[in-house]
Amino acid sequence: MRSHQGKCGYLRLDGYSSNGLEQVSNSGIDKTFLKDQFPELIDLSDSHHASRSQQGDLLALIELPQFQAPQHAGLTGMDPRVKNQLEALQLHPDRHLHFGRDPELPNKDTLEFKKLESFSLSLNASVWDPPSLNTLWFELVNGAYGDVYRAKALMNLPDGRSMFFNWIVSQESSQFLPLEEISAPNGRPASLSELVVQGKHLDGLRIQSTIDLCLLNDAVLEMHQMPLRDRQKEAIPST
Amino acid sequence: MNHAIISCLHANLPAAEAVLNDIDRQGIGTITCLGDLVGYGPQPNEVVELIRKRGIATCQGCWDEDIIDGLNACECSYPSQLAERRGHLAHQWTDDQLTDENKSFLASLPTSLRRDRLLFVHGSPNSQHEYLLPDMDAFAALERVETAGADILFCGHTHQPYVRELRDGSIRVRLQNADHECDQGEELTLPMRKIVNAGSVGEPRHGSTNATYVIHNDATDEVEIKEVPYDVDRTCQAIVEAGLPKVFAWRLSHGFEFAEQAEDASHVCER
Repeated sequence: MRSHQGKCGYLRLDGYSSNGLEQVSNSGIDKTFLKDQFPELIDLSDSHHASRSQQGDLLALIELPQFQAPQHAGLTGMDPRVKNQLEALQLHPDRHLHFGRDPELPNKDTLEFKKLESFSLSLNASVWDPPSLNTLWFELVNGAYGDVYRAKALMNLPDGRSMFFNWIVSQESSQFLPLEEISAPNGRPASLSELVVQGKHLDGLRIQSTIDLCLLNDAVLEMHQMPLRDRQKEAIPST
Repeated sequence: MNHAIISCLHANLPAAEAVLNDIDRQGIGTITCLGDLVGYGPQPNEVVELIRKRGIATCQGCWDEDIIDGLNACECSYPSQLAERRGHLAHQWTDDQLTDENKSFLASLPTSLRRDRLLFVHGSPNSQHEYLLPDMDAFAALERVETAGADILFCGHTHQPYVRELRDGSIRVRLQNADHECDQGEELTLPMRKIVNAGSVGEPRHGSTNATYVIHNDATDEVEIKEVPYDVDRTCQAIVEAGLPKVFAWRLSHGFEFAEQAEDASHVCER
């Protein structure tokens, strides 16, 4: 997307749960992160934008959670339900690639599951104690609350920053990326914050109770933010 | 003659039993314990009673002190809000479990023990809460040992076993007048001093689940750090059955301490 000269668009389609493989609901984490990185990103879930963007040199990233490789290569292998979703948005793909089958995509991002559970938690308006967040994430991805294959999140820090956390079991380490947009250090942020986990034997109650121990209350948040506001005031030259 | 030094048992009975059995097998009769008999682990009464029954000379650790005096370390001693809340939860649980008799025993423990030129403390001669880390500034380390009047200082608290020799130490004192003219100086050359950290029996922080302790030969001053495997699963099962957080069991079984160490481990809370 960074190297593409024309317009860029994003669409996240709903996947389908089957045979003990549980899909996670569309949390909007990826869309929020991409929109932060590419403010001009076109939201292709809006059919009006989608049809207009077909006229230009559009690079569309369409994300579709799918567990099994299609039986046939190319467009004929595409799930008819997915085709219908795209047609409703007037999107007509010319290629269909699948992780683990087509060499254009990295094979190491492919995992095979026989059973998959999902856990998601809205964390909107929550702000983390940063060292506690570090411990929670370490424990989470290393199996303290069940076998985690995939985890991603948008987390708010007391200084107004929001961080994208990304983990996949086949990768060596987590990805931690700061968002460009920084909220004012003035109370709780309005930006999207959510945790999504997929894995096996996930203990959602224990994840949630640990998270409760990590989040800042209003008084502690104010203790973090007051000096930041004071510094910002000092930085503004008086006229 | 060989003697053994154990520390930081943290209510982990299988680990304590395994270490004492290992010491017994070597025919070592003198054992000194550097405290923290309780804290985080699931069997505080059993561990205290084992130490009492064996008549092991013991000094008081920071957890032993906090159980008697109440929490006197503020959140600045914890590296995170999560660690602090877990620490407080473990404190409350341990306080509820310990019998009055065992609390009285912990209250009776001295903050240090001395045998000739050997000094035994939990954290440092200054405080049960101060960490003497292996990479601590050499002057500060030497000052701790010299001020305490010891040739060898045995400590625990960091959960990381190590032997640090402070060779060719010297302390230079210079006095300066108000007019900044150098008046006089004196240099005191010190013989070799040694700090020996026994690591931890019940909550290792050295990269493995094995319990650690040390053996010191008081004739040759040789020190051996010993690692002892024990039934970690038995302790983890006891943690879960006691109703302590399951994550304590997970952390212990993976060789992680129950609560992380403070970023500034040398910090001593003075609240």
